[in-house]
Amino acid sequence: MIVALTFMTLLTFVQVVLRYVFETSLVWSLEATTYSFAWLVLVGMSYGVRTNAHIAVDLLTSRLPPRAGRLVAVLALCCGLAYCALMIYGSGQFLDRLMTLGTDARDIPLPRWLLTGIMPIAFLLLALRLVQAARPLFATRDSSSAAAP
Amino acid sequence: MTALFLLGALFAFLLLRVPIAVALGLSSIVTLLLFAEQSLVSLAQRFFSALQVYPLLAIPFFILAGSFMTTGGVAKRMIAFANALVGHFRGGLAMAALLACALFAAVSGSSPATVVAVGSIMIGGMARSGYTREFAAGIICNAGTLGILIPPSIVMVVYGAVTETSIGDLFIAGIVPGILLTAMLMAAVAVLARKHDFPRQPRADWRTVLKCGRDAIWGLLLVVIILGGIYSGVFTPTEAAAVSAVYAFVVAVFVYGDLGLREVPRVIAEAAKVTAMLMFIIANAYLFAFVLTTEQVPQTMSRWITDLGLPPWGFLLALNVLLLAAGSFMEATSVILIFAPIMFPIAVALGIHPVHLGIIMTLNMEIGMITPPVGLNLFVTSGVAELPVTRVIRAAVPWLLVLLAALAIVTYVPWLSLVLPRALG
Repeated sequence: MIVALTFMTLLTFVQVVLRYVFETSLVWSLEATTYSFAWLVLVGMSYGVRTNAHIAVDLLTSRLPPRAGRLVAVLALCCGLAYCALMIYGSGQFLDRLMTLGTDARDIPLPRWLLTGIMPIAFLLLALRLVQAARPLFATRDSSSAAAP
Repeated sequence: MTALFLLGALFAFLLLRVPIAVALGLSSIVTLLLFAEQSLVSLAQRFFSALQVYPLLAIPFFILAGSFMTTGGVAKRMIAFANALVGHFRGGLAMAALLACALFAAVSGSSPATVVAVGSIMIGGMARSGYTREFAAGIICNAGTLGILIPPSIVMVVYGAVTETSIGDLFIAGIVPGILLTAMLMAAVAVLARKHDFPRQPRADWRTVLKCGRDAIWGLLLVVIILGGIYSGVFTPTEAAAVSAVYAFVVAVFVYGDLGLREVPRVIAEAAKVTAMLMFIIANAYLFAFVLTTEQVPQTMSRWITDLGLPPWGFLLALNVLLLAAGSFMEATSVILIFAPIMFPIAVALGIHPVHLGIIMTLNMEIGMITPPVGLNLFVTSGVAELPVTRVIRAAVPWLLVLLAALAIVTYVPWLSLVLPRALG
């Protein structure tokens, strides 16, 4: 993530410098930047779960008794996993289509499926992190753990 | 019908405490699978392409610039400058906190970031000088919302990207309303200060003011580079953002020297985390907006509202009520992504300027940041002020009146938003 963000920042900056100082430009720069951006976000999603960075509404859940709270938390986990499963399936098919097409990216001499291939992996990671974050729900029976994930 | 199901699903997921991004995405996917002939492939494709929208690339760069400015001592110098300027008035420290938020907003495109930058220093400082923690938190929480009104602004980037309005014009247009809101908040503090007899600071002589100003100038130059660069056509808003990130890095590490090179990766990682969190929501909001479009919701709503025959002022009133409601339940950028495509054609048909609409929406999102249940500023303030969220909410609520008054003025006096873009364009 650090690499991706540094890379895209510098690349865009260099592009401006090149244009004005050297009156030239890198053809592949724009595409490389947008792909780094996508990778940064896709990998960052699961990191966000680990660091508890995703925003959620606790209007209802903060008022529930512990038992119901745990039930709702399990339901929320199921929703998250369903989302991941659907996205893995969808992006897998998307990838499959790109592989059959076999086209390269516009300016980067790499096949498109390779550059997009991170997508199902990223959602798989997201699913794993969601389960990991919800582990306290199942590990103990005492009510204090109901607040997760 | 389909639209109702979509909305219902979204709210159900939100109530279960599913993260907002997942709730937006999952409700869109389920709706498409149940009601429409769309495949999951096209959704995955849309998700990926949302992460490659060029104007949105400005977001990570502005976030990165903001992180360097926060950790690199820029906030500290801006606070010193603000304090030298207004500290000697009654309630001076509170005014300085406000002014510092406005100054920092000119280098930061996000409201929570502004709260963190100024609040982590000022709330403690105000508490030591005899203000209550709640009062300090209330001020910072509200003044921090200026972050998205005074350029640069992430919310404006998103609005510009979906409605194809010039991001440069939006940035410039935010200046006058931003100054107006700052002045109104200042006035409110002045009234309270007289009533409660708040302490004054010793008056800083002009040499101190000048010195603090010179210290802070490196940070303030950033907004000049951004606006100057975009307006003179030297670079696109996205490039301006990248340049400002590099500039902020240079200022933090080499000019001020407050940030060691070894800490730089940590700052970048933090910015990357915030970017990923925000873009995850935005990409899912794109899916949501896509479902609305396939269901012809924008068209239907446009026709419906046009048939009502509302005069422009009536439409604006309805728009504000709707956005305020949506803003308190959802995160700012996703509200823009979902509502801008619906409202834009109606507003244009009624003769409302796209830039003016953008400023109105931005101000609504500011208010959304301090209204529960999803008020990002409230949570961030509660973190830096070390107060429970409920007490921050109570402290922030009275200031809402000032923000609402500003919203009313900006809504019905388009001149405020349009004077600068017109003068320059």
